[in-house]
Amino acid sequence: MAGEKTENNQMEKAMDAPLEFVREGNQFLSKCKKPDLKEYMKIIRAVGIGFVAVGIIGYAIKLIHIPIRYVIV
Amino acid sequence: MAGFRLINLAKPFLPILPEVEVPYEKIPFDDKMVYTVFASLIYLFAQFPLAGLRKATGEDAAAHAPTVADPLYFFRGVFAMEPKTCLEFGLLPIFAAGLFLQLLAGLKVIKVNFKLAADRQLFQSLTKILAIAQYFVLANIFIASGYYGADLSLPQIVVLNIQLVGGGVFACLLTEVIDKGFGLGSGAMIINTFAVATNLVSDTLGVNQITVDSEGNTEPQGALINLIQGLRAQHKTLVGGIVSAFDRDYLPNLTTCVLVLALGCLVCYIQNIRFELPIRSTRARGTNQMYPVQLVYTGSLSVLFSYVVLFYIHIAAFALIQLVAKNDPASIVCKVLGHYETVNNIIAAPTFPLSMLTPPRSLVGGALSQPLSFVVYSFFILASGVWFAYNWQQVSGMSARDLARDFKEQSITLLGRREQSLPRELNKVIPVAATTGAMVLAAVTIVGELLGLKGKGAGIVVGVAGGFSLLELITMEFQESGGESSLANMLAGGLSL
Repeated sequence: MAGEKTENNQMEKAMDAPLEFVREGNQFLSKCKKPDLKEYMKIIRAVGIGFVAVGIIGYAIKLIHIPIRYVIV
Repeated sequence: MAGFRLINLAKPFLPILPEVEVPYEKIPFDDKMVYTVFASLIYLFAQFPLAGLRKATGEDAAAHAPTVADPLYFFRGVFAMEPKTCLEFGLLPIFAAGLFLQLLAGLKVIKVNFKLAADRQLFQSLTKILAIAQYFVLANIFIASGYYGADLSLPQIVVLNIQLVGGGVFACLLTEVIDKGFGLGSGAMIINTFAVATNLVSDTLGVNQITVDSEGNTEPQGALINLIQGLRAQHKTLVGGIVSAFDRDYLPNLTTCVLVLALGCLVCYIQNIRFELPIRSTRARGTNQMYPVQLVYTGSLSVLFSYVVLFYIHIAAFALIQLVAKNDPASIVCKVLGHYETVNNIIAAPTFPLSMLTPPRSLVGGALSQPLSFVVYSFFILASGVWFAYNWQQVSGMSARDLARDFKEQSITLLGRREQSLPRELNKVIPVAATTGAMVLAAVTIVGELLGLKGKGAGIVVGVAGGFSLLELITMEFQESGGESSLANMLAGGLSL
């Protein structure tokens, strides 16, 4: 009986570690400062414009590969 | 010096290894921007189609056609790997070499004295040699497996090796240009961001036509363009065209595009969550400020690390299954590891047990056919990410101890705390931030991948996080340069027009 109990305890401890970790993380998250909507929109716009601009240039470069593929493959 | 040191392995290679010189003088902001952007664009251009492969048409096409499909399909979007190009393996070896060696050096497995310039140089060279060696090994695993076609002749093998390894060396040098102070931030990260942005645009707005069936019908690569074109396509009905725009699985569809965009916005939000430490100056009174500690303290490196480890598990399994067991389900290796099944003629999907570490190709199909991978894959990404973040924050020069030293140098301290307890107080925040941030980022990645984004989910997480850190660097450098930038003036002028 006693042996079973300690085993149970150990199991519980092993289960507790991730739970404790998640709890700690949650606590930390709730203490963090989240961006407000205005700030967030500004960031989305900056990142979005950057991504699309870079992506279009990159895609234009990739289009050059299509004729090359026909020539060398 | 007694004892064997791993970094000394790099010594004989130093004279022959190509290297970028550190800039002689400080590079102005404009030049840095130009170097950064152009290095990334050159990388994209270097994704040259491989020459020397047999043409897929012709009489003996069936006999010599590659029988092995792409087993790495879900890594493509994460490491800028473009199939059947010189950069088949993308930036993965560079990331892998950098992350592993720095982690090992930080955990004191390899002994490096970073205060010595000679040691630093040896370490850098070792990283580069390791990356190039990986390109070589990976290339030959793929060549031997028959991915580039069965029974290649010797010249073909040599030509393929030159292209694949040459592409790798070139990619190393490009990242080095940015790393060594010509550009902003970490080279591999920025190039990766550019590649992710390019993939995003070509998946959404790509106009290039790709043949999709044996009758020669074509569909555009971009999902949005496909929807528009589907409305007037001859080989489909109107409703069929709209439905297929949302659920075609051979090319990007609109559903994945929308999901990817949503994930990107989510990552932007997470990147902006910060823990604010109230600080005050020890010299002047009454100047209380906030010191922000980012939630995503180790950035997207934790996700990258998880994927590097996952990649090597998969490549080892691929080598065993293809080279040893020839993908024969009856073989003992395949019974233990599973084998590959070709889906859509393009991708090779592993079967059970290996499939447990593979993200499902679609949410519903995955839930029915490989429910275990939801658990195992998620657990793997979470655990490896958190483990990495915890160790990385300690060894990468931004641990609580390093931060406390920085605080002391700038004579600031935490509000309402004694100066002596500064490291202990910071130690309560930094490791928690790093692990929690890694957990959140891993969770976002997992959600994206379980929805069936095939690597695009992890790709956008890495890409947006990289883009974000680049944006921060740009604003910081811009302010440091005193706002004097003809580039910025030009852009501002262009926008106001």
